[in-house]
Amino acid sequence: MSQSVVQQLIVKDLRLHRLHILLSLGCGAIALALLQIRSEIPFVVGCVWFFISLIVLGSMLPVSNIINEKKKQNLAFVMSLPVSSIQYATSKLVSTVGMFLAPWLMLVIAGVALILGRSDIPDGFIPALLILSGMTLVGFCVIAAAAVVSEAEGPTIAATILCNSTYGLGWYLVIRNPAVRHDLLSPVPVWSSYMLTFLGLELAVVAVVLGAAYYLQSRKRDFV
Amino acid sequence: MSDLAIELHGVGKKYRYFTLDNIHLELAPGQIMGLIGPNGAGKSTTIRILLGLVHQDHGEVRVLGHRMPSEQVAAKWDIGFASDDMRLYEAMTLEWHMNFIRSMYPGWDPAYAQLLLKRFGLREEQKIKGLSHGQRVKATLLLVLARRPKLLVLDEPTTGLDPVARHEVLRELTDVMADEGRSILFSSHNTQDVEQISDQITFIDRGRIIDSMDKEAYLDRWRRLRLEVPLGVTLSALPGIIGIRQAGRLAVATANDFVPDLASAYVNAGARLQCIENMTLEEIFVANVEHSREEVEA
Repeated sequence: MSQSVVQQLIVKDLRLHRLHILLSLGCGAIALALLQIRSEIPFVVGCVWFFISLIVLGSMLPVSNIINEKKKQNLAFVMSLPVSSIQYATSKLVSTVGMFLAPWLMLVIAGVALILGRSDIPDGFIPALLILSGMTLVGFCVIAAAAVVSEAEGPTIAATILCNSTYGLGWYLVIRNPAVRHDLLSPVPVWSSYMLTFLGLELAVVAVVLGAAYYLQSRKRDFV
Repeated sequence: MSDLAIELHGVGKKYRYFTLDNIHLELAPGQIMGLIGPNGAGKSTTIRILLGLVHQDHGEVRVLGHRMPSEQVAAKWDIGFASDDMRLYEAMTLEWHMNFIRSMYPGWDPAYAQLLLKRFGLREEQKIKGLSHGQRVKATLLLVLARRPKLLVLDEPTTGLDPVARHEVLRELTDVMADEGRSILFSSHNTQDVEQISDQITFIDRGRIIDSMDKEAYLDRWRRLRLEVPLGVTLSALPGIIGIRQAGRLAVATANDFVPDLASAYVNAGARLQCIENMTLEEIFVANVEHSREEVEA
């Protein structure tokens, strides 16, 4: 029965935040539409919008889904339902990650399809797109973990600032790598060991951060 | 296994600036207990512990036969909890909330929910952000009551309500008790509300339960004796008297275990009895808290 309550809590979160998800998808779709225009400025603007839509969604979801539930005193309502604190934390982690992953995957897949479909953009861009998008996934996981563990606005905002200010540096370090720059212009995707290691690291960080958040929550004794 | 709805034995919880100390509380099925205490007395902490939301440092808690907090999930299927700091999702309608609760609770009673909508003057299509404070409290109670819980735990549910809304809420709670198997724990600092619906009263102050008994027993046992005292005579507190305030020739003795012999004893000591007054629950509460604090500080 409690498993179904956890499912209901996840569905509840999806219903509460579907507008956010749709807005992000809309923003991402506009970015992809701009990328279809064969000119330099729309291409640059489209790229920026594409990543901004992922970053904004990744920064906004943990706050609106986790922090605001406590801030707006909805938590007392949820606490009265037949769930334990760990079941509640599980529902929050699953719903927050799910709500980010769904549009993230859709936009990334659409981005890959766009590169494959356009002859004037080398397919060598695909690994870089995955790495850069992966950074937004890592950033989102760090912010979500901070929100789940702290249940407070301060640490979550700190994690958001930290992640958002790191993207630029991370992207710069990836793109300035000579091997990456060379492979970008390749007519086929080049999966160099550097790229694969980077992607593997991103996935490992995602797994460790989310696992740590779950572990810390499972040790928490009190709901409030 | 005990049949009690609520059992707390030797329960304690220590925070940095507050300690809940050695709480004993029992509530039988079909009873309404009013938990009265000033702000910061420990009412909400006690309630959070008995709901399993906060772990007690020591002591045993059982609710509807379930050991808390380990069996909180099983217990909460039959507990309806509402508190003054509980808020529904503002962007959603009352109907959305009703559907949400109904999807979880097999015991949801749609006919009763409709009846409560009418009685409370609520419209299910209205968004929560458009409701007044009183309407929000009623909407929360509707969501709790229509589940038909065996135990209702209400933490300051009438705080901030106007007299009409308070009356409606209290009347509904009284109606709920028509089902004799249901129990209510009702915390408030408003003694009038508690007096209106409770069978039992428990006073809590500074993390300690200072008194707990039937409401009628309180009202029967507490009296105020107004006395005229000759100059130079000082009255002493007799057994059953918790305090005497004397100013010049007038004295007021407060009895927490009144028997007519007390009045005779003061008359024999030279005082003249002006009158014996019944005390309201609020007066009993204040006198009880003051007496308890004096004892602790002595």
